[in-house]
This record gives sequence, C-alpha cells and structure tokens, in this order.
Amino acid sequence: MLSLERVEVTIAGARILRGVSLVVPEGGRVALVGRNGAGKTTTFRAIMGLVPIATGSMRFSGVDLVALPAHRRTALGIGYAPEDRRLFPSFTVEENVRLPAEVLGLRGREIRDRLARVWDLLPELAELRDRRAGALSGGQGKMAALARALVTGTRLLLLDEPFQGLAPALARRYGEILARLVARERGLALLVSESNPELLAPFVDQVITIERGEIAAPRA
Amino acid sequence: MQLLLLAVLDGLAYAAQLFMVAVGLTLVFGVLKILNVAHGSLFAIGAYTASTLVGLIGTPDLSLIALALAALAVGAVAGPLIERGLLARIYDKEHVLQLLVTFALFMILEDVQKLLWGVKPLFEDAPVRLLGPIVVGDIYYTAYQLVLMPSVAAASLLILVWFLRRTLLGRTILAVTHDREAAQAIGIDARRVYLLAFTIGAGLAALGGALAAPTTSLVPGIGVQMIVLSFAVVATAGLGQIEGAAVTALLIGLGRSFAVYFAPELEVVVPYLLMVAVLLVRPEGLFGRSELRRI
Repeated sequence: MLSLERVEVTIAGARILRGVSLVVPEGGRVALVGRNGAGKTTTFRAIMGLVPIATGSMRFSGVDLVALPAHRRTALGIGYAPEDRRLFPSFTVEENVRLPAEVLGLRGREIRDRLARVWDLLPELAELRDRRAGALSGGQGKMAALARALVTGTRLLLLDEPFQGLAPALARRYGEILARLVARERGLALLVSESNPELLAPFVDQVITIERGEIAAPRA
Repeated sequence: MQLLLLAVLDGLAYAAQLFMVAVGLTLVFGVLKILNVAHGSLFAIGAYTASTLVGLIGTPDLSLIALALAALAVGAVAGPLIERGLLARIYDKEHVLQLLVTFALFMILEDVQKLLWGVKPLFEDAPVRLLGPIVVGDIYYTAYQLVLMPSVAAASLLILVWFLRRTLLGRTILAVTHDREAAQAIGIDARRVYLLAFTIGAGLAALGGALAAPTTSLVPGIGVQMIVLSFAVVATAGLGQIEGAAVTALLIGLGRSFAVYFAPELEVVVPYLLMVAVLLVRPEGLFGRSELRRI
C-alpha cells in the first residue's frame, strides 16, 4: 500500500534521511521507533510532501507520491497527525476537524458521516467541539489532531509521536482510542512513530527502527 | 467648534481611504508573510486607471461604476501577474531579499506610472460632483468623501471578515495564515491561497486608489505616502490584524486631521508618533497576539 524506497532527504546541507525504505501493507500497523532526531518526523513529512526528497521513490496504492503535490495526498485517503498538533488556533475544534473534509470537496451527508465516525471514537472531544483550538490543553490538542487526521485518513493514518507530552492517564486513554480504532477498522493502515516502543506494542504488528536517518532493523 | 467638526469629518474621510490600502497590506502580510512595499504602487495605479477610465467614459452618471471597474481590472491583472511572476519565486527566501524585491518592484512601477501617465497632475472629480455636497452643522462637505468613502471602507471590512470566516475559501486563507504546512497537510493548495490573497489585497489597494482619485490631483509619488502611512496603520494594529487595521486607520486618520487644524507643523509626524507610542507599550501592536492568531 505505502512503500518508500531508498528515500533521501537533505535539509540545509545535512542528510536527514539516508536511504529509508519501508512498506506499510493495507491494514498493516507499523511502528517507526527511534530516538529524538533519528528521522521519524522527517519520514512523515516526506510522505506528506512537506519536505522535498532528494532521491528515492514513494508510492501509495500504485500512485507515485513524489509526483503528487502535498495538498493532493490527503485525497488518497491519508491522514496525518503531526507531533506538535499544528491545529488552527482561532478555529473551533469542529472547524479544525471539518475543514479537511470540506477541502476534499465532500458534501453535507459525507461530511456528517465522517464527523460522526470521529466523534464516536473520541466522545470527550465531541464535548469540546465548540471550543477554540487555541484554548485546548496539550492532551486535548493531541486528540483534536488525531480527529482531524481521521477525517481524511480513511486508508492510512500517520501518527507522529502521539504519546509525547501526554500525562500517563491521557496516554492510557489515547492508547485505548487507538486500540478501539484498529479493532474497528481492519482495513485501515497505521504508521505510528514513538521514542518508546513499549507504548505501541498493543496496536502494531511490525516495528521498524530508525537511527540517524537509516532504517536499522525491521523485526516482526 | 466648527474647526473641531471639520477635523473629525476630514479624519473620517482620510481614515476610510487609509483603511482600504492598509487592509490589503495586512491581508497580504498575514498570508504570504511578505511586506509588500509595492502595495502603494497598486494604490497609485488604481488611482490613475480610475481617473483615466472616468475621463474616457465621459458620462458623470457612470463615473462611480468606472471607479469600481478600474479597481477590479487593476486587481485582477496586476495581482496574479505580480504574485505568479515574482513573489511565487521568493517565498522561501530571506525576508530581507523579499523586502528588496518588492522595493525594486515599487521602483519599477513608479516609472511605469510616469511612462503611462506622464508627470503632469491628473485631476478628474466627476464622481465627487455627481454626489454633490452634504451639510453637517454649518459645514458643506462632499457626500463622496463623507458618505461614499467610509461606506465603501466599512462594507469592505464587513465583506472581507464575512468572506474569511464564513466561506470555505476564506477559511482556507485563514488556515494558511495560521500554518502553511499544516494547511497543506490537510489538503489545502497553499499556492492557490497565496494567489487569491494577493489578488484580493491588490484589488483593495487599487480600490483605495480609485476612491481617492476624484479627491486629489494625481502626481508621481502618491503611492509613497500611502504605503508609509498604511504601514504605520498596520504596525500600530499588529501585523495581520484586519479589524484592528480599521480601528488604527481611524485613529491615525483622525490624529493626522486634528494635527492639520490644530498643530499643522506636526501633521506629518503625528501618525508615526502614534505608532511609536503604541509599539513602545505593545510591540506586537494594539490588537496583535503574535503567535495566537493572525487575520
């Protein structure tokens, strides 16, 4: 479904990704683990087209991602929740979550269906839907970022360090949500990064380690 | 008392004109993160084009339509031309370079104006004569300056705010303003948003110029004063603050007008004194919340 082959990313003269290759099959749940600065976020940003790749190839369901502008990648069914949330602070939670669906050109009922899927999975966020994103706590912001990613992420969900900065209780709750999501949506592929692989153990079936921009050792 | 009233009326009329230019400048900065020095040239070209069109049409009854058409034409042609042809190539460059490029464009456009319209003053006041005078107290004032210009400015503000908050296109502009990368990651075409925002900004500057044209003699350099004062409005409000720009345009318009009547030697300096006073206390501007929200 998603495949990266020998992807190289250079930023300001520094090689951040060095020949990264990985595959996320349809319905696969893959963890990308590594220390801070190992290249996890850059891998996600490269997949989303937010950073140009120097060499290599990226394909998603047969589509050449490299040739596809960043803004057209969500239309393939990819949703991305960045590590630092990146919500639009003057918008309400609902406006943040709804906007990607509207940008995709979905209509009333389709939008309602997608939002219903999100609120059903994140009922605590549904209660905050009229709150400005700028007024959310860090944990609530993580939930809102996940919700926004879920709206476009019907086939592949990219979650960059979802547990980072969460208090233990919130991290547990986030884990429960992910567990419910993967149990409910078998066809949904997941690529999730984390510094601490133990947190991801319940949801993933493959762990890929990245070190200094290189894939170290995939293990089943 | 009459002087006081006159100062208020002048201030309102000038504030309306100032706001039209400043709001475009602040919109463009908010979205593109580029301070467009050539924005004043779009004001000037809008003014010259409007005067020319009013003269060409020759029918006073159609002069107001001519002003609107001139603004529309300048915005629709110059906006995309400048954004696609020039700015799109420098978005990822240093701010200093961006500033220099727009300054170079400003210099070029100044000469283009001289080439097209010469250096002799151009005056075409058919729209002002069409609307006639209005009496406020004992003062005869032009309805054009006292009613039409503030009405257009207020309508522009309301329409712009409605457009940004209530339409999908507007919300995509706001999203890019907040965070270009996050906007792209949810499917927004940032290049298209840049083009749209710049064209709207150019159109507003041209509309400001077109509205100002019947009230003054057009001479080379009219864009310079306008861009400097607009910058004072935008900086005083806080970069990217649209409603704030309306308030500070009023503040600076009235301040300048009161200076004209009561301390003429301070006329030029008053807007900048106001700006400095505000920025000393609030460096992010009166309405600026630099990292929370722009536009």
